[in-house]
Amino acid sequence: MRSRVRERRGFARRSPRPFGRSSAIPWIYLAPALVVLGGLLVYPVYQLGLISFLEYTQAQVSGGEPATFQGFGNYAELFGDGEFWRVLLATVVFAAACVVSTLAVGCALAVLLTRVRAVPRLALMLAGLGAWATPAVTGSTVWLLLFDPDFGPVNRILGLGDHSWTYGRYSAFLLVLLEVVWCSFPFVMVTVYAGIRAVPAEVLEAAALDGASQWRIWRSVLAPMLRPILVVVTIQSVIWDFKVFTQIYVMTGGGGIAGQNLVLNVYAYQKAFASSQYSLGSAIGVVMLLILLAVTLVYLRLLRRQGEEL
Amino acid sequence: MKLAPRLAVLLAAAVAAATACAPQTSDNSSSGKDEKSGTLRVWLFQEVNNKPKEKVVDAALADFERAHEDTKVTVEYIPVETRAQRIKAAFNDPESAPDVIEYGNTDTAGYVKDGGLADVTAEFAAWDEAKDTDPTARQSVTVDGKVYGAPYFVGVRALYYRTDVFDELGLEPPKSLAELASTAKKVHAAKPHLYGIAVGGAYTYGAMPFIWANGGELAEGKGGSYASAIDSAAARKGIEAYTSLFGDDNCPAAKCAGMGGNDTVTAFASGKAAMAVGGDFSHQAVEAGAAKGKYAVVPLPGVESGSIAPAFAGGNNIGVLKSTAHRTLAVDLMRRLASKKAQGELFDAMGFLPTFTDVRQQVAAKEPFVEPFVDTLAAGTKFVPASPAWATIDSSQVLPTMFQEVVSGKKDVGAAAGDAARKMDEAFGSAG
Amino acid sequence: MRRPWRLAAEVSALLIAVVVAFPLYWMVLSAFKPAGEIESSEPRPWTLTPSLDSFRRVFEQQEFGRYFLNSLIVAGCVVIASALIAFLAATAVTRFRFRFRTTLLIMFLVAQMVPVEALTIPLFFLMRDFGQLNTLGSLILPHIAFSLPFAIWMLRGFVKAVPEALEEAACIDGASRTRFLWQILFPLVLPGLVATSVFSFISTWNDFLFAKSFIISDTSQSTLPMALLVFYKPDDPDWGGVMAASTVMTIPVLVFFVLVQRRLVSGLGGAVKD
Repeated sequence: MRSRVRERRGFARRSPRPFGRSSAIPWIYLAPALVVLGGLLVYPVYQLGLISFLEYTQAQVSGGEPATFQGFGNYAELFGDGEFWRVLLATVVFAAACVVSTLAVGCALAVLLTRVRAVPRLALMLAGLGAWATPAVTGSTVWLLLFDPDFGPVNRILGLGDHSWTYGRYSAFLLVLLEVVWCSFPFVMVTVYAGIRAVPAEVLEAAALDGASQWRIWRSVLAPMLRPILVVVTIQSVIWDFKVFTQIYVMTGGGGIAGQNLVLNVYAYQKAFASSQYSLGSAIGVVMLLILLAVTLVYLRLLRRQGEEL
Repeated sequence: MKLAPRLAVLLAAAVAAATACAPQTSDNSSSGKDEKSGTLRVWLFQEVNNKPKEKVVDAALADFERAHEDTKVTVEYIPVETRAQRIKAAFNDPESAPDVIEYGNTDTAGYVKDGGLADVTAEFAAWDEAKDTDPTARQSVTVDGKVYGAPYFVGVRALYYRTDVFDELGLEPPKSLAELASTAKKVHAAKPHLYGIAVGGAYTYGAMPFIWANGGELAEGKGGSYASAIDSAAARKGIEAYTSLFGDDNCPAAKCAGMGGNDTVTAFASGKAAMAVGGDFSHQAVEAGAAKGKYAVVPLPGVESGSIAPAFAGGNNIGVLKSTAHRTLAVDLMRRLASKKAQGELFDAMGFLPTFTDVRQQVAAKEPFVEPFVDTLAAGTKFVPASPAWATIDSSQVLPTMFQEVVSGKKDVGAAAGDAARKMDEAFGSAG
Repeated sequence: MRRPWRLAAEVSALLIAVVVAFPLYWMVLSAFKPAGEIESSEPRPWTLTPSLDSFRRVFEQQEFGRYFLNSLIVAGCVVIASALIAFLAATAVTRFRFRFRTTLLIMFLVAQMVPVEALTIPLFFLMRDFGQLNTLGSLILPHIAFSLPFAIWMLRGFVKAVPEALEEAACIDGASRTRFLWQILFPLVLPGLVATSVFSFISTWNDFLFAKSFIISDTSQSTLPMALLVFYKPDDPDWGGVMAASTVMTIPVLVFFVLVQRRLVSGLGGAVKD
């Protein structure tokens, strides 16, 4: 497939496109998107950056006191706080675990979907879509009820007695991870399944005839062909899981026993928005944005080096 | 693209003179107008079962509209869960702001600091019914000696216990906090599947009476500035007393450290606990559970045998917004909504306890269930520091973190209380 | 594939489906359980006395029908507007080469990384200055903005998959650019639009944050999540009500899913048919 991509690029370069001559056209097509994004995303993000350099609390918002310029004061306060670094580390590790688990479960089930007949396929698909459709607040609440040490059925089924899932730091993170995987694997599963379906059957048959194992077919045939799709689902998972908010907030009661399960987004909320210290919250938001940006850019660069194109 | 140069200009201005291009703010000064007719907007909290409340409110509004010509009132019931956004938004956008609001009494100081509530000290003093308002309720609308609303109802907590379990084990309801602990342990020893008393590491309002009963305070303040007192010897004794209830001999830390107030009440209601600290507002939840018909309520005891621990007086107030264009009318509406008559009816409809001592005595006579709660209120209640910093302390979970650190063995009482005191002082300091 | 293998695969697929669906089942079950049975020390996966009380509390709320309609309007507007705008933008970035193209693509990616919670404050003032507070517009506009980047990013693959030869043929036949865009390209990309619409629909339908930040004084403009939040009372949450309201909220999304399920799969598949 990669060779086909190259060929097409070459073709495009040799013969100018019939409709692609005027350089104004793409900008006309882009105009509505740019107006909406510029006004409702870029401008607010700019405001966010600005606020992160100011002293800005509810008193300033209400106009009671003037906003004063703080330089990097808010950032200095943030970086000087040991808890921030602890939360940052937890966020990165937790998000990475979520991304890897979601991708693994999603891809495995996508392959499984291609191996079964219509009825089990429809059942699994519908169950997945149901999990996807559930509002995050509700999903978190239901999972909490299911794993409740006193009132939940899970401990009964597993014979765990009254083991509390939210008490230990790691077991609480594990519980949240399970919920996050539950509500985000369907996206990966459906997308990758759709991708596999689009792969010509002859390719897979040929591989099977050669006696390749399932794992090997996935590794050497499917994964490379699905790369564009995998890129999209990986980047999306990174973005979504790094920003996890509702699940942690609801399931660990706002950050767990003595704040042990805080992640950056919840930390920003606790620290700042709940108590109207918007400037500190904005600084955390900017830091999150920069981290995500760095991760994605590195990832895209790696892909590019391997010959993929945006 | 016009955006780029505009951004560049703004950015340059930001560096040059930050105040000149500060992000938007709102002009939230009082409107100065005092119109005598028109439409008033009221926001009240939406209860899960809201119909009875609407009836009581509608009756008060009908009286109000009859008394003032050419006035109309529109009421909106807002979900409690969204109140923070709504009310802050109302302060920031006077266009959408109502004239009169219901608000939680722990939010008073914060809203005053935000410049949202109107000072009604003079009108409150001139109101004949106000003299019967109980002192803690009055304190909950007061910041720096000025009054910012009328108390609407109070919520207070007491000790629920299982009569069947106590009878079976030959136990009496505890008379002191020490007895409470020993009774709880006796129950758990005899019936290991029950918590003696369900306690929660995140149940701040359930833990406060232990601190107060031991002579401790959350914070001490004068002239509007506060300093944390949570690490004083007396307060530490209270923390010790509360956290000693967590353990395998009563309420295992693994399960109880993360529980909040509602979780402890649920544990009691479903028959998992022999005792719990619950509010008058928890009555319905307990009635719906397995504990129905097998429980009674007594005031939470204090340190001395036979005394009552000071409870936290929660509840809601009715206030007038500074930005109202109908100040006189709005104050009158506030008085009608929170009048003795309306509060009495509100109790009949919703079971919310009146803030007037005399009205409260009357309803206690009608409904024996509320007696222990009224007794608790009569014995004296306490309130959180009337500082805008309280919202910060509350939302950044300073006290739950402290209890949880002790309960989970991460820190001892002294260290945890010291850290909590430092965080509280930081909040008091920055809130000014 | 050999028989026993397929059987094993099908059995495990069914088992996994049961596990995945179990939380949903528990949600619906809890909605039908009478109060007090939801948190009992005997958790039973059935109830002998199903009750409609929780649903009654949901439907009896002030203007519940209005909320439902508002949610539909908001989600509908967002789905249509973001699909059209994203289609144009995706065409621009895939079928044209121009300066800043890669930069723009990365910008669209970056736009998704902004923590939404942090943006509500600036957005609030923006909406106020445009006089949009308390209108459905204050929900529709930001949601379009937040769905667009992902929609553009997803649609690229679909637009790319349409052979260039088609474009040349249309040109030779004398079709105008606009005609090619709407009468030839648009229908071909439609399955992709369905797939991306699913995302904008779900994120808009399930949104609590904007709904409670921008609709301040006019409850007639509130959306469904408000009918759910009523039950999350700090001291006394009503789990039966929460579950019933969630069930009511989830059903339309499931219906939508079932309707587009086939198209969703064939649509998403198009992204790799490069």
